[in-house]
Parts: sequence; structure tokens; C-alpha cells
Amino acid sequence: MTILLPDLLATCRDALATVKGLHGAAKEAVTALVAVNGKVDGARLEANQQAAHGYAWLTTYVAALEQMLAWAERLEAAGRFGELEQLMVQSAFGEYVAQIYGGIPMSQGELIRPADLGLDAKGCHLHASAATGTLRRQGNAAPVRMRIAELIKDGHHFGEPGLDDETLDLIREQFRRFVEDQVVPYAHDWHLKDELIPIEVVDAVAEMGVFGLTLPEEYGGLGMGKTAMCVVTEELSRGYIGVGSLGTRSEIAGELIRLGGTEEQKREWLPKIATGEILPTAVFTEPNTGSDLGSLRTRAVKDGDTYVVTGNKTWITHAARTDVMTLLVRTDPATKDWKGLSMLIAPKPRGTESDPFPAAGMTGGEIKVLGYRGMKEYELGFDGFQVPAANLLGGVEGQGFKQLMETFESARIQTAARAVGVAQNAMEIGLKYANERVQFGKPIYAFPRVACKIAWMAVETMVARQLTYFAAREKDGGHRCDIEAGMAKLLAARVAWSNADNALQVHGGNGYAEEYQISRVLCDARILNIFEGAAEIQAQVIARGLLSGGRG
Amino acid sequence: MKVLVAVKRVIDYNVKIRVKSDNSGVETANVKFSMNPFDEIAVEEAVRLKEAGKVAEIVVVSMGPAAAQETIRTALAMGADRGILVQSDDELQPLAVAKLLKAVADKEQPALVILGKQAIDDDSNQTGQMLAALLGWSQGTFASKVELGDAAVVTREVDGGLETLSLKLPAVITTDLRLNEPRYASLPNIMKAKKKPIETLAPADLGVDTAPRLVTLKVEEPAKRQAGIKVPDVAALVDKLKNEAKVI
Repeated sequence: MTILLPDLLATCRDALATVKGLHGAAKEAVTALVAVNGKVDGARLEANQQAAHGYAWLTTYVAALEQMLAWAERLEAAGRFGELEQLMVQSAFGEYVAQIYGGIPMSQGELIRPADLGLDAKGCHLHASAATGTLRRQGNAAPVRMRIAELIKDGHHFGEPGLDDETLDLIREQFRRFVEDQVVPYAHDWHLKDELIPIEVVDAVAEMGVFGLTLPEEYGGLGMGKTAMCVVTEELSRGYIGVGSLGTRSEIAGELIRLGGTEEQKREWLPKIATGEILPTAVFTEPNTGSDLGSLRTRAVKDGDTYVVTGNKTWITHAARTDVMTLLVRTDPATKDWKGLSMLIAPKPRGTESDPFPAAGMTGGEIKVLGYRGMKEYELGFDGFQVPAANLLGGVEGQGFKQLMETFESARIQTAARAVGVAQNAMEIGLKYANERVQFGKPIYAFPRVACKIAWMAVETMVARQLTYFAAREKDGGHRCDIEAGMAKLLAARVAWSNADNALQVHGGNGYAEEYQISRVLCDARILNIFEGAAEIQAQVIARGLLSGGRG
Repeated sequence: MKVLVAVKRVIDYNVKIRVKSDNSGVETANVKFSMNPFDEIAVEEAVRLKEAGKVAEIVVVSMGPAAAQETIRTALAMGADRGILVQSDDELQPLAVAKLLKAVADKEQPALVILGKQAIDDDSNQTGQMLAALLGWSQGTFASKVELGDAAVVTREVDGGLETLSLKLPAVITTDLRLNEPRYASLPNIMKAKKKPIETLAPADLGVDTAPRLVTLKVEEPAKRQAGIKVPDVAALVDKLKNEAKVI
């Protein structure tokens, strides 16, 4: 049988139009559940959370398919739409269209079916076509995945990224090599010994220009876009999530100061962040304040020309070995919500191994974690810790929460790229092992259950990648992209986790041994669904944005 | 002092090479290309000489299809100053490349030409030597150490140990694996490289006839290794060595 569907792109276009019809009907049905007089009602949204979040996932799938089709069309126009890329588009459409009608896994145990979105059988039937039928039956059939498995077997080519930009290709190549030489051979050891990433490696990352990547040139940065940030982050995270995450804190601090800082603050801090001369860390969450950040309690009281900070923070990454904190505090004690929050740029001396927190009025303790090591996690206590009043971000109190929100798009795109890198790494590790491990007289990659698993990992990584690049391009184009960034992060995190889980499965018992690096990648992948907006919060934000506004 | 560095776009060293089904060559469609690793060492050496203040300008030159621009751009991102692409989609054999390089050298008048000792695709190991002969310059091949003063002092790894040569300038040097470890191009340098000029020439502009002198008859994959056998005893082994393998 022919594996590749005839008129593949026409079929995909047709199916996408049909699925969009279903998506429109779902929006109507879910809106009816959560809105009162055309406005989203908080209580009804909560009561119908499954449907609302399911709608966020459905929208994410539609957006992902849209981007896969756009990717295919770009490649075709450039004459680079090879067999692998064609099969990847077909496989992605086959699988995602089938899941849209049959059940989308929001997580392993939570499937969203059309009925959950308020669509009955008749509604579904109305929004089905010959194209969706063909794709559901044949799009991602086993022979398709087997052929993909054959094409990626050598481990050198997993499909064109399709950025069509010579400079970005060069950046990817250079960072790939940097990581192969400086990160891959050592990452597992850093993880097992639960060590900080050696400062020499941090310095090398700084020298490569990572920390000033997106900062404007006038403040010592390189003025490159978020798409370039994605390529770099993806490659660094492919080696080790910890290294890919070094840039996250610089990106957050950089965005906070660039968007919310006074001219003086920009001139003072941004050039040093860009060179890596100072390492920043983000200090937002508290023991009782995670996703509900607006309710945080750490206080800052102005006393002359200093703020005196009191309170507890937790889940602070890289807290010891950093030089400045972007510290979210309550400056208006009369408030209980986000309105009374301010952001401080709080310098502190860099800690050492023997004295991790030398600053007066500040203590810290390490939180031992499963994965995402390399920078370490800490809880911090502030008791009389002083910050110069001039370091109030933007110079006006009460802006902290808004200032932070403005950085979310960028941080989520960066996190999506981290997830794509981890997903890619998991897939490659699984592939390598499957080619080397011989059972029953042949490499286990010869067995369809193994090969098909890995083929699908490669396809879904590409889907997550294309959705991530899309969000980055939207950001670079100056468009609002909170929803797009959220969707990219939501999907990429799920893909990273399922790739890591399946790649470990391919390893059998060996994968469960700490000695094998897939055991680390599993632990590293697990954080992606939690930090930078847990999957449930992400779906909530997307759903609210889609259902309340004119968007989506 | 000006240095000319030659770089070649080759199939990436990580790629598993496949022979075309008609045995006319190797598969190049959808295959990753990158700079010949020995040429990377040549670029790195030139950049280090520049950083040491011994070289004022590095000109990097490549011969090949339009895509060879990417290879030149990589060299520019590593620190070379400007590029020259002699663009041709035809097969360019070592003699043709050497003649083209001579023409470029005549034009640019460098004090030193540095090239990789060989390219990892055809492993010819001829271009540097041919170029030195065509130019009538001294040559130091397989350099594992280069010191530049009024002369170029080149250390070569030879079978018996190390050989040190003093070359009168201008000279041609080809690089061995242990000369240096090439750097990664950093983001700032990649951005700077975007603004560096690349001049494109045709072989005809240089007055060189690049017609191949050699004809490739056939390209084949190495024979697959046959499975071994177990012999029951020493006598059978001796018999096979004597009568089948005919080695004793």
C-alpha cells in the first residue's frame, strides 16, 4: 500500500477547515456553559472547568495543526518538503484529528471528548468530512510510523526545522556543537552529584552571548528576536535543562527591567545582565503563594531611602550563586491582592558553597528535588533585609504584578523552547538505545512497538517546535501572544514528559537505573508541566482569554 | 600581513554516508553539510595569529555551489574578515581548486595561505601541495604547530617524531588535527559576521579552466563483513588457515 496519502496537503487543508468548524461549535457550547449574558462568569467557569480547559486544549490542537500545515507549505515552497517532512505532517494530522474526535489527553488520566465540550454525536457528525475520515484511518497508521522510524534511524535528521534563515541555522549548529562538547558528557554527573553547573560552563554560556541575546543593543545586548532565543534555548536544553534554564532568569530580569524600569535602572543593570557579569534570580513565589501570586505576603516597608523586607519565599532557583534578585513584595499593607505589589531590584552578595547566603537579613535553605538540578532550589527568609529605595522597579509602587505579567509571554515562549529541547533529547536517547540494545537476535528498534513509539516522539516534538516558533514569531512581530505562548508551553511540556516516559520505557529496566541518563531526563521533564504556570493554570489562562475576549 | 584561508563545504562528519543507487557518487540530497574539520582548524589558526597581532587581515575563500556561502559565513563568524566565493556547480578536482586558489592568491597577495591537509569527503590530500607548486612558494604540510615571525616555523608530526621546518614567506601551510581546537562562533560574532562582505566570482573571472582531468568510474560501499564460523578443534583451524585462508 502507499503510505503517503495522495494530495496530502489538500487533505490536511480540508481537514483543518472541518476541524475548525467543530472548534467553532465547541466554543459556542462551552460559552453557553460558562457565560452569563455574554460574559464569562467566574463561578460557572469554575463549575465547568473540565469543559473550559478542554476547550483550551482543543484550541491548542487546532493551532498546532495550523502551524504544521504552514510549516509544510513553507517547506514545499522552498523545495525542501522531503519524504520525512511529508510523513510527519501526515502523522501529526492523523493523530491529532483522531484525538480531537476521540479524546485529547490533557494529562494521562484526563481525556477530553467532544461530549465533555457540550457537543453531541450529531454535532460531531456535522463537523466531519472525507478528509478527517481519511486522516483518522490512515494518517498515523503503523506503516506510516514505521517508515518515519526508518528515515530517522541514523539519528542525524529529524525533519527540517523550517526557519529558513541562514543565521538561525548557523546559531543552531554552533550551539549544538558547544553542547555536545561542553554539556552532554557532564550533565548526568552534575545531576547525580546534585552539583551546581560549574561556573566555567556558566561563563562559557555568557561568552557565547546567551544572557544578552534578546536585550536591545543600546543596553549591551544583541537585539536578537525571540525566535533566536528559542533556537538557543532548545539546543542548550537538549544537552541539559539546567543549562537551557540559565538564560531564563536573565530573560525574566531583562524583560522586567527593559519593560518596567526607569532609564537609569536600564543603564545600570541591563549591560551587566547581558554580559553575564551579574547573574539574576527571580524571587516571586512563597510557601502559601504559588499560582495565586497576587496574594503574596512578603512585606517591604520604606524607611528613609531603603526598603526593609520581611517574609518568606520559596522555590527560588539559583538563589545562592546569583548577584541580584527581582523581588516581588507587598508595599501596600492595606491590600490583599495584586494591586499592592511592587518589584524590587535587590542586589545581594554572591554566595559560596560554605556561605551560600552572606547578605544581612537574608537566610536560605536548599530544597532537594527530583530533577531540574544544576542551579538548585531554595527557600529564603527575609528579616530586615535592605534594598535601596532607588531600586524600586519603575520608581512607582503598586506596579509589580503588572510588570511581572508583561514578562510572561516571553518567559513562556522560552519555557516552551526548553520543553522542545528536552523532548528532542529524550527522543534521541531512546532512539540510540533502541538501535544498540539487542534482544531476540536483533536491535529492539526493529520491533514496531519500539520504532513506532520513537517515530511518534519525533513527530510530536516537531509539532511542539512549530507551535513554539509560531509564538516566538508573533512576539517578534510585536503582536500580543499570551495565548499562543501559553499554548506552546502547555503542549511542549506534555510532549517532553511523554517522550521522556516512553524513552525510559524503551530502556526497560536499565532506564530505571540512575546510571542511565534517561532516568535524569525523566526527572527533568517532569518539572515542565509544573513551573512557569502549571498545566492546569495554563489551560485556565488560555480558556479565560479565549472565552472572554474577542480572541480565538 | 594578510592570510588567505581556504575552506570546503563537505558532508558533515556525523552523517552516515550512503552511495547512490547508480554507483555514480554519494547521496547528497537532504544531507547535512558543514565546514571540512581540517579547514576549521585552518580558520582557527589564522584567527589566533590575528589575535596575537601577527596578522592584519584574514580572507576566507571557498569554491563550490552557492550554498558554500554558509561555510564562508561560519568562518567569518569564527573571526575571519571577509570572504570570496568562487561559485561553480561543476565538479572541482584538487588541481582545479589549486589553480583557482593560485589565481585568488595572485589577486590578494597574502603572505600565507592556510588550508586543511585534506577534505573528509574525497580525502585527496593534494590541494595544498599543488598550490605551493603552482605558486612556487615554500610549503609546510600537516602542521601541528605554527610560529610566525619573519619566517613561518612549522612543526610536523612524522613517523619518527617531530620535524621542524622554517619556511620563507610567502608560504603555504596545511593543518593537521592536533594544531588547535577550533572555537564555537558566539552570538555576538555571528551577528558581526552578517555584516562582513562576501565577494562572488566565477572560475572564468579568474581565467581558470576547471574541467576535470580524472573520471570517476564507480563508487561503492565497502564490502559487508561476513559472519565468522566456529571450528571444532585446533586441527580444523590449522587446516582452514592453510588451505582456505592460505596464510600459513
